[in-house]
Amino acid sequence: MTLQALARPVPARSWRVVAESYGQELVILGALIVLFVGVGLYNPRFLSSTNLTSVFVGNAFIAIAAIGMSMVIISGNIDVSVGSLIGVLGTIAGTLAVNGYPIIVCWLVPILIGVVINAVVGVLVAYARIPSIVVTLGMLSILKGGLISATGGAWISNLPPEFMLAQFRLFGLPSSIYFMVILTVAAALWMRYSTFGRTIYAIGGNPEAARVTGIRIERSVVAVFAIHGMFAGIAAILFATQLQVIQSTVPPNLELTVITASVVGGVSILGGTGTVIGSTLAAILFAAIGSSLVFLNVSAYWLRAVQGLMILATVLADMARRRRI
Amino acid sequence: MSDLIALSGISKSFGPVKVLKEVSFDVKPGEVHALLGENGAGKSTLIKIMAGVIGADSGEMKVNGQAVKFASPREAAAHGIATVYQELLLFPELTVAENIYLGHAPKTRWGMLDWSAMRAGARALLDSLDSPDLDVDVLVGKLSVANRQRVEIAKALSQDAKLVIMDEPTAALADADAKRLMAVVKMLRDRGVGIVYVSHRLPEIFALADRVTVLRDGAYVGTRAISDVTEADLVSMMVGRAIDHLFPKVDVPRGEVVLEVKNLAYRDVVQDISFSLHAGEILGIAGLVGSGRTELALTIFGITPATSGEILLDGKPVAIKSPGEARGLGIAYIPEDRGLQGLIRPQTVRENVSLAIIDRIAKALVVDRGKEAALARDAIARFGIRTRGPEQRVRQLSGGNQQKVVLAKWVAAEPRVLIMDEPTRGIDVGAKAEIHALMSRLAGQGLAVLMISSELPEVLGMSDRVLVMRGGRIVATFDRDQATPDAVGSAMTAAKRGQSLESAGAAAE
Amino acid sequence: MTAALDRVLRHESILGLLLIATLAVLAGQSEAFFTADNLLNQGRLMAEVGLVTLPMTFVIITGGIDLSVGSIFGLCCILLGVFWQKVGMPLPVAMVAAILMGGVAGLGNGIIITRFKVPPLIATLATLALYRGLAEGIAQARSVRGYPDWFFQLGQYDFLGAPTQLWILIALFIAAAFVLGMTTFGRTIYAIGSNEVAARFSGLKVDRAKLVIYGTSGLISGLAAVIFVSRVSTTRSDMGTGLELDVITAVVLGGTSIFGGRGTIIGTGLGLILMQALKNGLALAGVKGDGTIVVIGAVLIAAILIGNLLSRNGDG
Repeated sequence: MTLQALARPVPARSWRVVAESYGQELVILGALIVLFVGVGLYNPRFLSSTNLTSVFVGNAFIAIAAIGMSMVIISGNIDVSVGSLIGVLGTIAGTLAVNGYPIIVCWLVPILIGVVINAVVGVLVAYARIPSIVVTLGMLSILKGGLISATGGAWISNLPPEFMLAQFRLFGLPSSIYFMVILTVAAALWMRYSTFGRTIYAIGGNPEAARVTGIRIERSVVAVFAIHGMFAGIAAILFATQLQVIQSTVPPNLELTVITASVVGGVSILGGTGTVIGSTLAAILFAAIGSSLVFLNVSAYWLRAVQGLMILATVLADMARRRRI
Repeated sequence: MSDLIALSGISKSFGPVKVLKEVSFDVKPGEVHALLGENGAGKSTLIKIMAGVIGADSGEMKVNGQAVKFASPREAAAHGIATVYQELLLFPELTVAENIYLGHAPKTRWGMLDWSAMRAGARALLDSLDSPDLDVDVLVGKLSVANRQRVEIAKALSQDAKLVIMDEPTAALADADAKRLMAVVKMLRDRGVGIVYVSHRLPEIFALADRVTVLRDGAYVGTRAISDVTEADLVSMMVGRAIDHLFPKVDVPRGEVVLEVKNLAYRDVVQDISFSLHAGEILGIAGLVGSGRTELALTIFGITPATSGEILLDGKPVAIKSPGEARGLGIAYIPEDRGLQGLIRPQTVRENVSLAIIDRIAKALVVDRGKEAALARDAIARFGIRTRGPEQRVRQLSGGNQQKVVLAKWVAAEPRVLIMDEPTRGIDVGAKAEIHALMSRLAGQGLAVLMISSELPEVLGMSDRVLVMRGGRIVATFDRDQATPDAVGSAMTAAKRGQSLESAGAAAE
Repeated sequence: MTAALDRVLRHESILGLLLIATLAVLAGQSEAFFTADNLLNQGRLMAEVGLVTLPMTFVIITGGIDLSVGSIFGLCCILLGVFWQKVGMPLPVAMVAAILMGGVAGLGNGIIITRFKVPPLIATLATLALYRGLAEGIAQARSVRGYPDWFFQLGQYDFLGAPTQLWILIALFIAAAFVLGMTTFGRTIYAIGSNEVAARFSGLKVDRAKLVIYGTSGLISGLAAVIFVSRVSTTRSDMGTGLELDVITAVVLGGTSIFGGRGTIIGTGLGLILMQALKNGLALAGVKGDGTIVVIGAVLIAAILIGNLLSRNGDG
């Protein structure tokens, strides 16, 4: 006798439940719409296709890195070294390209290295029980220092045109946008429909319960970091190929921008909640805010202060929400 | 019929403390086997061994006749053992359906989660538990305690468990919910599931169990068919001796009123509390977990300052907004959770004993080490703390000695009112008697003692008067000679009218 | 000496030996290392980081962290220039005002942490962005130069034969060691880090202590900023970027547990000197500046890894 045989039809998920579980995503979507309409009315050039394309193309890699970051944060950890990792992997990709390696190698090897480096981070966090903030702070300085002392911050130019992944276009749209959309949707589906995806939520939400439920926490944490490394690798390839040259340094404050996108996108910094759709929307929102400051004649130097305020407001709202649950 | 699970000669120690000594236990299919014992008797440890959370040091465990050694909860689950923990190990940010199926979710052909099967299965399980009102898509964090428990049970059933272990499932439930739960247990039993049922509530055990096993101080006392025993038999098996000898309450002349509380309330968790406490008196507060007893203590002590009502000390109204202020006014609180709230376990006996009066033994903010060491040596002698000396770390002491350190810390602050919350939880009988003797001595010196306890024998044995709390209110008051187990027990559990504990439980989170 | 103190000091002894070994190796490597000039100069260079490690030790012992110190440092640099040149305050007043604003920024962290119960890591990560953003916004990429000569006494000149800021560091070092080791406040700090709930239940003023240490962290970051401006004669909004990493590394290297409850100022001092010696020694050995931060990152991870392996007997 199976239970299903006895079952009455299950009512569909109520609208209230759906709206609740995607609350933050809806808020950001609303903010995006308000921003586009508001700034567009003030200065219609903001909505020109050139500007919109540049907003998306220039920031797609941040959204992609934020997918992996979201998974790491949902699992209850954090990674402050992702900016340095992207810098290092981008430089490796460029160096391989100018040295004539096959393009596919130039694209895949950095992604693989990203997976390996972050798997090591994961092992240090999960098995050696060093807090992720400490491991990644250390990793940040190792990667950053290693990169600059190896290259001296030199620019890599004369990149072969077939290497420039981010500049490919399909149906008139740059490839970055496809990457961003496809990876976000794929990751979102995977987080919702795979056992491993749900495991990540479980570990971040209640580690003790996860252990008693029989989830192998250590292994899962290593896997989460490794997957995060893969997304960082893809982000690095897009980052490295958007301009004709690669400046082999670490993009300043990139890790912070990525973490901010995740957190503002609804990924609770205490772990256990959030979606990658939210983080991608938040990354777009940031890019749009940055761009709109220009069209609103506000000095771009205020951008980070605005970002800081947003991150703070989101964190405070998250704490308030958690106290209600 | 063969045993679903059979344990024999199981022993377990945590550091120097032996928590299980040669315990045997078995469960047959379609049987409810109650596990009974006082706090600290070793029930939880035994459950955890069966659930694969911890391993036994020695002894044998057989499942369906096969010897097993579980390395993880996952292996226990694979053998058809599911546990409903007291602290309800659920994931607040996941939905009901996901919580039920986490770790063994139905998959689609492509290996992805089958959400529709998951939701349908969850729906069917909850319906079969007589909970058609519970939405499978809602986040578990938003549910009441009773509903979370239903989710836990559905989770156990979804794993097709042959043996379900229930750790004090009714401890936090209002009566109506407890009855519903007991109906579910009977239903499971009739389906042929074996059930390990841990509870303090003797009436429940008589209503549900087929057999009962009693543990005391980690030792196996015996297993009886429920038809062969009376409540009195079980109590004496649990306690090991007659109650009168255990509680050395000395009669002390009642002094002036020290603490008076008028219409005190904290949100809707503690409501309309009024009582007065005299010097030299031990006032017991009885009530179930979640009845608002601890919350009342926290309100008087300033952790959760009162939202309305009055507190008077020596007849003068006082406002207590923080534990520091309470301490300054001469109120001390020995908390419920010794490890979490009472002690700095990685620190030494000396540092712990001086913690509450650190500013009093300092000169111009500099800690006087000599005075501090003298204080610690004095406390060790006075309270009979068994330790290598003032510099031993508190975490290395046994439960009873840790409790004495907490007591010493607060007595050093020379309080006039001493609130003790579960003063002997989880400590062995010998140390228990010592704590009771200390309590009696302190009252004899004129301290006003407010004692909260889940253990009815303790409340009845130690108190001059007993207040009974339920649903955040005082529902009955007894003098020592009127306080019989029956009278107090029925006041604690009487069915509620018009208000459910569920709402109080939800607000407390 | 008591057994407890013995155990606490064991890490410091190991660190002391490690330091002596490092110094010996470095002295053997380069003649230039063990000269009075070089050592005093190293003292000058490490003063800013060293100052900030003192309150950071308190913060980490309570089980918290302050990632915003570098941003507060940058903000105070900018504010010093702005207060003096744009607002027209006399320079001494501007110095005090900039330092006080650091204190306000730190207090802001404390309020977010105590009042809104935001975990310190997140709270200060947010203010790291916010304070740096304010620095950039206020500065608008302009720097302020042209300070009067007397101002450089603080950062560039000597006092009684040693760099002025080294004296300030030593004085505050002694004060911090005294407060943490001997006073009731220090005891409160350790109690919070070992078991915050029990500290609260023992009547200790937990929130007030946290406000004080995060406020002080901001205040000292401001002081370090003023000394830094005096040393380099200019202000820029990116000053102090990554300062938090150096500071946290020195503190953790010095034996303070990132989980709280354990650590000493002496240890932090040794950690700081070891880190500076490594930087200087590697530089003298021809490693470029950025190579040294690789070593520091590796040392940070290794120090905690070894610490974890050695103290597996803790009860969490």
